[in-house]
Amino acid sequence: MLLRVFARRRDVPSPEGATRDGRASLSAIPGEVVLLSKVFDGLTVIELADRRNQMVGKIMSDAGARVIQIEPTRGSPGRYVGPFVNDVEDPNKSLDYWWFNTGKESVCIDITRLPGQQMLRRLIASADVFVESTKPGTLAALGLDYASVAPSNSKLIYASLTDFGQTGPWAQLEMNDPAHLALGGQMGVGGYSDPKETPIGGQGRQAYNAASVMMAHSITVALWDRMTTDLGQYVDVAIHDCCAICTERPVSYWLWYNQPSVRQTGQHAGPTYAPPIQVQAADGRHMNARFNFPPNVWPKMLGWMKELGVAGDLEDEKYNDAPTRQAAAAVGGPVDVAMKALLAKVPAQEAFEKAQSFGLTWGVIRAPEENLGISHFAERGFWRDVEHEEIGKTVPYPRGFYKSDGLDVSPDGRAPHLGEHTRAVLTKELGIDATQVELLAQTGVVR
Amino acid sequence: MTTPAIPKGPLNGIRIIDFTWKAVGPWSSRMLTPYGAEVIHIEPPHEPDDHRWDVRPAVGRNFDGQITHNDHHFGNGKDYYSAPYWNQLHNGKLGVSLNARNPKGKELLEELIKQSDAVVENFSARVLENWGLGWERLHELNPKLVYVSTSGFGHEGSLSHYRTYGPIVQAESGLTFTSGLPGREPAGWGYSHMDIAGGWIGGLGLIMALMQARKTGEGTYVDYAVTESAMTLLGPYFLDYHVNGRPTRRPGFPPGNHSEWPGVAPHNTYRCAGIDRQGQDWWVFLACETQEQFEAFANAIGKPELLSDPKFGTMEARKANEAELDEIIATWTAPRRRYEIMDQLQKVGVIAVAVQGPEDRVDYDPQLRHRGVYPLIQNPEVGEFEFEAFVPKMSRTSPDNSLRAPHVREHEEYVFGELLGLSESDRDALRSEGII
Repeated sequence: MLLRVFARRRDVPSPEGATRDGRASLSAIPGEVVLLSKVFDGLTVIELADRRNQMVGKIMSDAGARVIQIEPTRGSPGRYVGPFVNDVEDPNKSLDYWWFNTGKESVCIDITRLPGQQMLRRLIASADVFVESTKPGTLAALGLDYASVAPSNSKLIYASLTDFGQTGPWAQLEMNDPAHLALGGQMGVGGYSDPKETPIGGQGRQAYNAASVMMAHSITVALWDRMTTDLGQYVDVAIHDCCAICTERPVSYWLWYNQPSVRQTGQHAGPTYAPPIQVQAADGRHMNARFNFPPNVWPKMLGWMKELGVAGDLEDEKYNDAPTRQAAAAVGGPVDVAMKALLAKVPAQEAFEKAQSFGLTWGVIRAPEENLGISHFAERGFWRDVEHEEIGKTVPYPRGFYKSDGLDVSPDGRAPHLGEHTRAVLTKELGIDATQVELLAQTGVVR
Repeated sequence: MTTPAIPKGPLNGIRIIDFTWKAVGPWSSRMLTPYGAEVIHIEPPHEPDDHRWDVRPAVGRNFDGQITHNDHHFGNGKDYYSAPYWNQLHNGKLGVSLNARNPKGKELLEELIKQSDAVVENFSARVLENWGLGWERLHELNPKLVYVSTSGFGHEGSLSHYRTYGPIVQAESGLTFTSGLPGREPAGWGYSHMDIAGGWIGGLGLIMALMQARKTGEGTYVDYAVTESAMTLLGPYFLDYHVNGRPTRRPGFPPGNHSEWPGVAPHNTYRCAGIDRQGQDWWVFLACETQEQFEAFANAIGKPELLSDPKFGTMEARKANEAELDEIIATWTAPRRRYEIMDQLQKVGVIAVAVQGPEDRVDYDPQLRHRGVYPLIQNPEVGEFEFEAFVPKMSRTSPDNSLRAPHVREHEEYVFGELLGLSESDRDALRSEGII
């Protein structure tokens, strides 16, 4: 039997022969095992804990890198973001932190203290990538900016994912994720068609997520370059820049045609109001459904409408004419009225399947968890169990962005507990004596 | 010499065959051209990509001369095929046309694939398979080849044949559902977030796969389902459901612009003085994530008494009395201008920003100007214009933001002549057969 499996970091035997978590090595599996390596296998990333950059570290950890998150002794700010297990605040039981920190190691060092700065400097000196999100000038004051650390590690990729980059009139503004959606443009184009109603930014830290993807891409380009040149570099990605180029058409309308856009419920902002495409189905869920029926679809739709007794005058032959039909799909027109009556009689899932079988691009506006019941994602291996001994069970996590046997970018173990790896990293990586580490802990430099 | 001007960069020597269209696919390969990759964008010979014209209903012609779009802003009154938006989506790529369904066309394509590092496409699931160019065949042609297919539901699984575009991906994944006011219908995102950010994620997968191939000498297939990537952007909601049994379809969710986790108040949008050109009110977003910020805020708006009010003195109290606090703040912001509020509150360390529209970002945002986010580029077909830059900055390998998108068939001589060794008369013959 030939078993091809990705080497997980915990499966790599230590010099003593045991795996890092004490489990049997893969070599104990009968048959021939081919250990594949993930794309970032062998890389060490030092991530200075911040809610902005934790997705960068997660992507890199899921892709095989060893990611050591340097946290303040109280823990990353991300540990204090709920929801928590059973809604009880606990830095080791934030589900938000669990998600964004899969497979990382936690080392708690107070870098406002001189010994802490020295330890971080030494860790950076042997790292491949350093990811940070502090305000411009913060790390320079601690002797930890790129200019200070690069001389000791010419291969280092120093990645600053910040609100606005390192300079500029807004570089020091106070921000959070929704503030980025507001200033960067997402919020301004999202919301309802009522011009008096508030613009709305979506949930889930999508400004940080998008910018983190951009940063992970830039880091990969830098790693690619380093494979040839053996040289690292400084990477500067601003969340505001990423948001600003992420809103698709509204900027284009203004930039090239001086056309301002209006927000529209459930669809793209644009220069003029378009017929609504968000319709409520019989089970109360909404659908994204355009009432635009090509000639080959119209007979099927008409048949469906007749079946449910909502066709009304649409049986008139004049509606076989596409422009006439399209005009009738305007708000209050006979097609619009009939389709809303139809959807009021059909549950969303049924309407979705039927419309798709006709070749229509309709979808259900699902709550995220409603996808757990859709077998398609399980068929694709989208749910990956991560063991959580804190709660005595495994939790199915989304696999990640790609289905790829050759990449397998997926969680490699749970998020670390606060300071779980401090002692191991300080003693083994930095060679600090265990008693010295305890002294540092007693004086609050490490935890 | 017909070799195209590829900028010098770390990805020099990487060649990508690009069958992408619309927005999500083009982004994935467009992220590599600023670093020197050679991306050959292939269009069908009889129907140019519809994004060549515009971002809006406009006028252009198809290759048979039939008018399909009309736009008088660019092109100096002449027909053109390189509208500004096209220059963003396909920036820096080379342009050819090829009918891959024709046996001779397929033969040419297979030769090209042998000389390339990756194939990217965002057709529906069965298209390349129907061409006889599924992963097995691609891998057979070129064992080092990377193949990234981008589609709504992926190429495997029971929904793989379902049709999607950006808004459907967002609807199905749950992303649309996370934007809206409590008790109201979903508001959605107002644009195809998963066409842009989802395109970036596809681009990340592409360069990761290229690196894996470079390291191992073996190509790989990335079946990129954009719905899955949107679900990946919603990870904590799945964990909350599994661990706490809490669904997002519940009263009070989504919370509008309030913050549920962490429980922060104030944290909302507030109406300001003024309206935009479309009659939409102007708004400011503000939040106090710490007690210090709220203390600074209360003093800045001339209401220090809020600090000693049991309803607002602590974060817990503010969260419990959020509606009343919102009203107090909205009364203060209503007669004031959004940028003045931003300036006043940021000076004391409070999160406060104008909710910017496209005009604000393009014309009034000093930071984006400072960062060079709207550089001028030139395309001989339509002239000089500003576009949205590729924004990362790197000390050694910064992306080249001076590139443009290709004209129709612009690089036929290079691709079919130089790379595939076809003479001019060979190419003419293929043209007359409708193959290129």
